[in-house]
Amino acid sequence: MISRNTCCSFLILIAAANAFGAAPPGEPFLVGGKVLPLLENYCVSCHEDGKTKGDVRLDNLASLSLDARLDLLNRVQEQVYLGEMPPKKKKQPSEAERNLLIEWVGKELRAHGASKLEDKLRKPEYGNVVDHEKLFSGQYKDLPAFTPDRRWLISEFIFDAKFNKLFEHIGQRDIDGKRQQPIGDNNRGGVNLTNPFLLPTHSGVRYYDTAALDGGHLLTMLTNAKEASAHLVSLAKRKNHLPAVSAIMGAEWAHEKILTTRETYLKANIEELLRGLYKEKHDALLPKFVAAKWEAPPVAKGPDGKPLKKPVFDTASPGNAELSEIWGAIRRNFKEGEKEDALIVKCERDWFHFGVNERTIQTRVAFMHGYMEDLHKRMPKAPTAQSKPLAESELAMYRAALSKHRKAGDTYSAVIAKCLAEWSDEFRREREKTSLTDEMVGKLVDQLFTKIIERAPTSQEMAEYVALTKSYVPKVGTEKAIERLIQTLILRTDFVYRQEFGEGTADALGRKMLSPRDASYALAYALTDSSPDKELQDAVKNGKLTTREDYRREVERMLKNRSQYYVIEEAVERSGSDSFTNIPIRKLRFFREFFGYPGLLPIFKDNKRFGGNYVNTAGRIVSEADMLVEHILKQDQHVFERLLTTEEFFVYHSGDDAAMTAATALIRKIYDYFKDKDWQSFDAEKLRVHIPFLKENPMPGLNLDAIGKVGGRSDQVKIFQGMMTDYAQRLGKGTTVTAPFSSVFGVPSAAKTRTGKQLGSGEVAKAFNIDMTSWNYPTAQPAKMEHRKGILTHPAWLIAFAGNTATDPIRRGKWVREKLLAGTISDVPVTVDAVIPEDHHKTLRQRLEARTQAEYCWKCHERMNPLGTTFEMYDDFGRFRTEEALEHPDNLVKKMPDKGSPQADLRDIYKTLPVNATGRLEGTGDPKLDGELRDAIDLADRLAKSTKVRQSIIRHAFRYFMGRNEVLSDSKTLIDADQAYIQSGGSFDAVIISLLTSDSFIFRKPITH
Amino acid sequence: MKTRRDFLKATALGAGALSLTPCLSAFAGATPAAGLPKRFVFIRKSNGERPNEVALPTLSEKDKALEAKKQPLEVDLRDRELPVYLRALEKHKANLCILQGLSCTMSENGHYSYSSIMGAFKSNRNSLSGIKRATIDFELAKLFPSPFGHIELSLTGDYSKYRTGIVSGYSASGPHQRNYCYADPQTAHNELFRAVTNPGAVDSDNAMLSFLENEEAFKERILQGYEKQKLSSHISSIEAVRARNLKLSKMAGSIAKHIPQIGKIHDAGGLNASSPEKEKAMTDILIAALITGLTNVVTFTIDELSTPVRGLAGNENDRISIHAIGHNESYSGVPADKIRENIRIGHMRQVARIVERLKAVPEGKGTMFDNTMIMYFPEGGETHHGHGTEAPFVILAGNNCKLNLAGRYIRLPFHGTEGHKTIGNWYTTLLNAHGNPIKHYGDFDLEMSRKKLEQTGPIKQLLS
Repeated sequence: MISRNTCCSFLILIAAANAFGAAPPGEPFLVGGKVLPLLENYCVSCHEDGKTKGDVRLDNLASLSLDARLDLLNRVQEQVYLGEMPPKKKKQPSEAERNLLIEWVGKELRAHGASKLEDKLRKPEYGNVVDHEKLFSGQYKDLPAFTPDRRWLISEFIFDAKFNKLFEHIGQRDIDGKRQQPIGDNNRGGVNLTNPFLLPTHSGVRYYDTAALDGGHLLTMLTNAKEASAHLVSLAKRKNHLPAVSAIMGAEWAHEKILTTRETYLKANIEELLRGLYKEKHDALLPKFVAAKWEAPPVAKGPDGKPLKKPVFDTASPGNAELSEIWGAIRRNFKEGEKEDALIVKCERDWFHFGVNERTIQTRVAFMHGYMEDLHKRMPKAPTAQSKPLAESELAMYRAALSKHRKAGDTYSAVIAKCLAEWSDEFRREREKTSLTDEMVGKLVDQLFTKIIERAPTSQEMAEYVALTKSYVPKVGTEKAIERLIQTLILRTDFVYRQEFGEGTADALGRKMLSPRDASYALAYALTDSSPDKELQDAVKNGKLTTREDYRREVERMLKNRSQYYVIEEAVERSGSDSFTNIPIRKLRFFREFFGYPGLLPIFKDNKRFGGNYVNTAGRIVSEADMLVEHILKQDQHVFERLLTTEEFFVYHSGDDAAMTAATALIRKIYDYFKDKDWQSFDAEKLRVHIPFLKENPMPGLNLDAIGKVGGRSDQVKIFQGMMTDYAQRLGKGTTVTAPFSSVFGVPSAAKTRTGKQLGSGEVAKAFNIDMTSWNYPTAQPAKMEHRKGILTHPAWLIAFAGNTATDPIRRGKWVREKLLAGTISDVPVTVDAVIPEDHHKTLRQRLEARTQAEYCWKCHERMNPLGTTFEMYDDFGRFRTEEALEHPDNLVKKMPDKGSPQADLRDIYKTLPVNATGRLEGTGDPKLDGELRDAIDLADRLAKSTKVRQSIIRHAFRYFMGRNEVLSDSKTLIDADQAYIQSGGSFDAVIISLLTSDSFIFRKPITH
Repeated sequence: MKTRRDFLKATALGAGALSLTPCLSAFAGATPAAGLPKRFVFIRKSNGERPNEVALPTLSEKDKALEAKKQPLEVDLRDRELPVYLRALEKHKANLCILQGLSCTMSENGHYSYSSIMGAFKSNRNSLSGIKRATIDFELAKLFPSPFGHIELSLTGDYSKYRTGIVSGYSASGPHQRNYCYADPQTAHNELFRAVTNPGAVDSDNAMLSFLENEEAFKERILQGYEKQKLSSHISSIEAVRARNLKLSKMAGSIAKHIPQIGKIHDAGGLNASSPEKEKAMTDILIAALITGLTNVVTFTIDELSTPVRGLAGNENDRISIHAIGHNESYSGVPADKIRENIRIGHMRQVARIVERLKAVPEGKGTMFDNTMIMYFPEGGETHHGHGTEAPFVILAGNNCKLNLAGRYIRLPFHGTEGHKTIGNWYTTLLNAHGNPIKHYGDFDLEMSRKKLEQTGPIKQLLS
């Protein structure tokens, strides 16, 4: 073993050559004289041979390989910088000593280009590293704030918005009965794009300026660019919205159109034309037709000898296009009184003469034989002829071409193909007489550049792109060359990166204001995913985006706008719930991401443990959490406090109180009307007596016209009685206002969402411990809920921060520590097997405590567990509980059915132990708030009163809108935002305005090293 | 920080035209240590796979009883009669494994499973955000890099006609990343063998990349710090793709030698082609893509409920809805079960063709098939409306397969019982055997979790 003295002598020995500086690459490693005592006093005593705490040894730095030493020094640098080392219980260096040590390690690492700390500090997970008290102390508020000049890789949302704009794709939703065009509908038809700019999935701020385009992005963008270019050209062809493209391609496209018209005409009239030309010789020139022999297929029988079903018409239908052909042939050949078989042969002959693929003919024939009756019944009216008779000159052209090309035995298709080939050649020769001019290509470049890059090209760019486009033409042809130009533009860095650069004269501190154009994008992307709107563009054009007041005016305008709707999340919509808002989407998204409750969606959870249909309910839980956040944001008062402590929630609600009231009143009215009648014994005749009432008060799912006519599942009397049974179960048990969900299979709910969908997933109530049978449903929501306080007690958040089958106090506690208390927690060391051991005689909390009580574990877990365990008052579906079920086969008390009505609780029953939801709050900096906690509601109350919590949310808002971590020079920006919040009575809009008009946002400085 | 040199080292070893599979790691990395790559073919079929139809028909009474009760059993199938639809594989029984008893409840099941059957997650009705991870084929493609990394083919439709062109696929290169696939043989042919069929297009690709590189290099010169690094990374990416294109161009000779000829019936999307013709042409392309070395991993959705089956033996004149036969509807006097069997017989003909063609190509001391594994499996569990308690896999494995599969009929313990295995266990087995030490791939089965039954890790009995 090397003694302390030996160790120090060794370090001193190697220090002799250089007093302080880093060892240049290739030279011996040296430790400076001022640093050596610090290492000896604060580090080596624990990290030397024989005492290698945490598997780290510092007494042999010089003998390590360069890679190993740099790796170790990076760890030292991080630990010392973050204040993790020396441990809290050990003697601490002064601030100056710590800085000296950091400086030395940093120099050493930078000499080899190996320092990782700077890069790390720019990442979201290091956001809390800057000392909270220093940021808000005011001590640093005179430091000049700015953001470095930067390119900021577009986000997944901006990617979609950009392409939607390029394709002029506009989503449509009927919201509250009015057609709206929400931004964020990405259901683009006719083009397949893959979004490569996905944000990380963790909670908190996800979109930072640190990402760079890599090979994976580029490969995806290459494929996207190809798809997009083909789609844009096809759109230009259909809609003529790119005149420069049309100018180049117009002649070719016009010719294509003429050819299509001629083809259509010939297809419809060729027989008549040829008969006119060839008269009695015509039939002899046709290919010889022999009808295929038709034999009716045997009746398929099952193993029991009984006939099997054949598909119904709609299932067997060959599709609309084919049906249209069949009906066309029937119309041409049908003769009253003639046998069906003869008609089919005539149709078959028609198709044969036309040259239809033989397999297609036989498929049509087989279908006709199987479904002739249906074909007659369903035959639509013949389309009326729209076109005018052709001029004689045109007819002459057709006749000439047909005469020229028809040969004996030709099918009609073959003749048409030859005519088209000739005309196509003629057109091509005609086009070749005119060449592609520089002017045309110049206009093309200008238009596409402006459309894709959203600015005009410079003269140099114009020259380069014209030359490039012309170079493509000989290789791939004109149309493909245009597509190549589009691809090239889409692959430019200024398509995939946002540009934020200062412009104009620098102030005394070297800062420049954002250029007006870049400012317009920065503001637009701060609040939405879209490029600047017209007002912002006009402000740039008119020189009205050059002062702080200009910024304020535009931000206030955008925040007030309620006329634009946005899709919040596609996955929620797909689950059947609404997911839209009309507040600027990034304002709502901040809180979605900050709280991270949408993280519920990918968690695979068990219907059986939920006791009902959880899978269909998950989307509704998220949708209603969004509604709650939106509701609080719209009121914009005491936003943080209300988010943390609201006792009012949405549960199975569309967001439209009037519609929900009407839906529940309808159920009440129907029930009251029938309850004293002998409805249980109604037959169709008796039910029909009440049609006038039911017409005025339609019972969901009941088809009055079908009463007595349709049996089976669609038996209307059974549906009526099923619904009444359900109503009676609920309203007959003292419920006064029943929720309008449906519990009869296949019957819709009585309420609709604001977009007109069925309001499904009534079982969301189960996550709130609501007994659906006796649920007295408040139609005006949000409404007060027992045992809940704030988003952290909403099932959405609780499920998002739970596992598949259990709660997760560690992640919940970590979230509170990092997001609300501005704290830091190191990653789980690789040597730790972070698994809570199984023991089905203990609660999860008991097992967790047993696993984390060791000192080595507790130094991190003490920052999480005492916060996270307060949420043990809820299970992993967010249900309030006082007892924890010990879910293990050995503890099964009662097995419950696997299927049942939505009201039934299908959970198996297990032995239980009492829940202990106590905890401890530390780190608010306020002795009145820190201390023992009763439960999560107690925690929520105290957090909402904490200055540090408020400031911590402000810090996250800063990161969200700036796309980077705060540094000490942002101190004034943060203090101003905090004050704006306080002085406005808790307005989040005030925070946004303050941030987006701050020096941190407005001023830029180039990176010079 | 990643230097440009690092980047090139990590990416430029692959080559190729612009691939549809944007998972860079599938192109990257060194050639596997053993020298010869392993190949994987995943063939997804719709309408479920009924376990009794995959069961060996001539089991002993004792084994029959076990099979009926879904109790674990294992039989050497080499001297057994195969189920009718597997008879095309008669000559290859020594390479065949029928793996019964795997469950897939954590995937979507029902009519469609989208990406979920190969990713062991719920796909949330095919929403992008439902894609939780890279599917197993992409994970394997990362282990055995190739110019195209991964190729996906499909024969699906809109119930009345086949899809054509390049369309959304079912595999996923990563979370929230849906892959593309080639939906008709002609498109697949044009795109995959472009180095031979359309060198002009490859030239213009390179001209574009060269222009972009110069343009960004000019901007990069005036920048500093991490802003410079961003552009540097962009330029490096372009360089890597150019290098891949160059390599693909150099492969043109080999591609030309093996390029398949597909009939004119497949022109313009092949709307008149029968299902057997489409399956054969797509299989020819699949085989050529493997033989030329364009890829080591192919996923082929051979049908889906929306695929309009045409030209099937016994139903030549029908356009069969796979959905309808799932509901036991008959066509032209042929019962639904018989049609289902005929469809599977057609599928197996293609599987046999892949095996035979690869067995005919020498590689190392054996043939290409020695290093190949083909898996044929249902996308939605055990039947038309599957719950995922069973998902039978028919597997063909070459002699160098790293798993103990060949010649075995295996029924694993049933879902929710001790020792039961899920597709997550099966995919973990594949990954562990081929160099990815992942502890467990995919979501857990919740019934197994509820019953506190062990379900992590590979299927040890299959690891050689």
